[in-house]
Amino acid sequence: MNDLMALPLSFLQSLGFVGQLILILLKIVVVFVVTLLHVAYATYWERKVIAHMQLRLGPREVGPYGLFQPFADGIKLFFKEDIIPATSDKPIFYLAPVIFFVSALTSLAVLPFFDGFVVADINVGLLFLLAMSSLGAYGIVMSGWSSGSKYSFLGGLRSASQVISYEISMGLSLVGVMIMSGSLNLSEIVRAQHATVLGIYALPQLLGFFVFMVAMFAETNRLPFDLPEAESELVAGYFTEYSGFRFAMFFLGEYTGMLIMSSTATLCFLGGWTIPGFVTNMLPFLHYVPGIVWFLGKVYCFMFFFYWIRATLPRYRYDQLMAIGWKLLIPIALANIVITGTLKIMGWI
Amino acid sequence: MKNSLITTIFFSEILKGMALTFKTLFVRPVTRRYPKVKPVVAPGYRGLHALAKDENGKMKCVGCGLCGAYCPSQCIHIYTAEGEDNKKIVERYEIDVLRCVFCGFCVEACPFGAISLSEHYEYSNYSRESFYMTKEKLLDNWDKYFPGEKGKRYYQDFWRPMSEDFKAHEGQAMFSKVPDSIKAGGKK
Repeated sequence: MNDLMALPLSFLQSLGFVGQLILILLKIVVVFVVTLLHVAYATYWERKVIAHMQLRLGPREVGPYGLFQPFADGIKLFFKEDIIPATSDKPIFYLAPVIFFVSALTSLAVLPFFDGFVVADINVGLLFLLAMSSLGAYGIVMSGWSSGSKYSFLGGLRSASQVISYEISMGLSLVGVMIMSGSLNLSEIVRAQHATVLGIYALPQLLGFFVFMVAMFAETNRLPFDLPEAESELVAGYFTEYSGFRFAMFFLGEYTGMLIMSSTATLCFLGGWTIPGFVTNMLPFLHYVPGIVWFLGKVYCFMFFFYWIRATLPRYRYDQLMAIGWKLLIPIALANIVITGTLKIMGWI
Repeated sequence: MKNSLITTIFFSEILKGMALTFKTLFVRPVTRRYPKVKPVVAPGYRGLHALAKDENGKMKCVGCGLCGAYCPSQCIHIYTAEGEDNKKIVERYEIDVLRCVFCGFCVEACPFGAISLSEHYEYSNYSRESFYMTKEKLLDNWDKYFPGEKGKRYYQDFWRPMSEDFKAHEGQAMFSKVPDSIKAGGKK
């Protein structure tokens, strides 16, 4: 795969600045299209998995096994009437879903999908991811504020406090990874992981991994932490007043966020596109499997985990959510940093 | 308390729940894909009414009115007239299906096996008139829902008329004779 791409890539690079620009645009188009297709089918698989976990069948009517269901949903949302509440704050109301969706998509730029394939190979990739996921919260807060509805307002407020609480523990949980790899560039983190004996950081960074997993659910507003859109209390939370394509943007943004969080977990804790060295030593033919297969396989596992948790757990109470964030996750993450830092200074890792 | 601390730390309850949902993932779903896959009705199902025809294609009903007399929701209306040779003819035989409770008393009451309940249950409609069954419609139902041997077998197995034999056939849907306990209670 890499050999096939090497020739046109080197040709484009030989064109200088224009070639670089075309190359980046091509990468962006590929990443964008592939991600949106993944998002479309993430909704399908979510419905299928949860349905079967509840002894139901899930979508079956549109196309074979209901495989065209995401497109039917998309077309329906696209042609639906766009209702704007009279009491809403119009410019902010228009802007909020765009901010949410764009910030989710922008994070894709720094994710290395396989060795060397990353749109923007910047040295603060991890920080950029955290920044973008916080920016997405602005979309939620703004939509809640501008809708002119008590449900949206409460959903927005909840989201603001939840994201602030869990952003801290998420950032702290990744500090251990930064200490161990010595870099914030996601490709470098993966390479540093591959160089270790175990090949993944999930085991030496078990505490950090655990904190990240829990914070991941809170960051993406998924069950059991979907307080901002708790349908039994707040109708639909911050996007109660949205319809048609504006709603679809929130929806797509949420699923893109899930994909990005899964990718981040894969890159930082499970070795990204690599598999541990001792596995390839035992089974040498695995060298020929392209890295994207491992990467996507790991991401799908995380996505399945999202669905699995949603099918199993009920929603936490609000004070429980805050207690988990501040009293459990942050102390664990801090302890993890102390332990990892000490070991690093002692030169044991 | 010690036990609860361990369960809290290792999320054993959450893990138990997740094991259950994961197992359920591979269990056959209970969904019935109804309009596409029709359920098989139990034998002796009490569905839409039909008026039986004999071998010559003539209506079996003689207009005695026992079914209407038994009907607890009083939804059977029979109008008879005198025909030639002083014969009784059934002019109108009407069932208001929307009032019917599908108890099957009419079928039990009929001495000739003339009224029957078919296995047909999909007769929803937009108008009330379509649920008002006239004689012609009921005879049509016989042709539609009891084709060939089906009708014969149906009342042989489930609603054998008293005119043929008075012995209850095994598995026959009918009320047994009054138990002695109730009789004794009635005397007091």
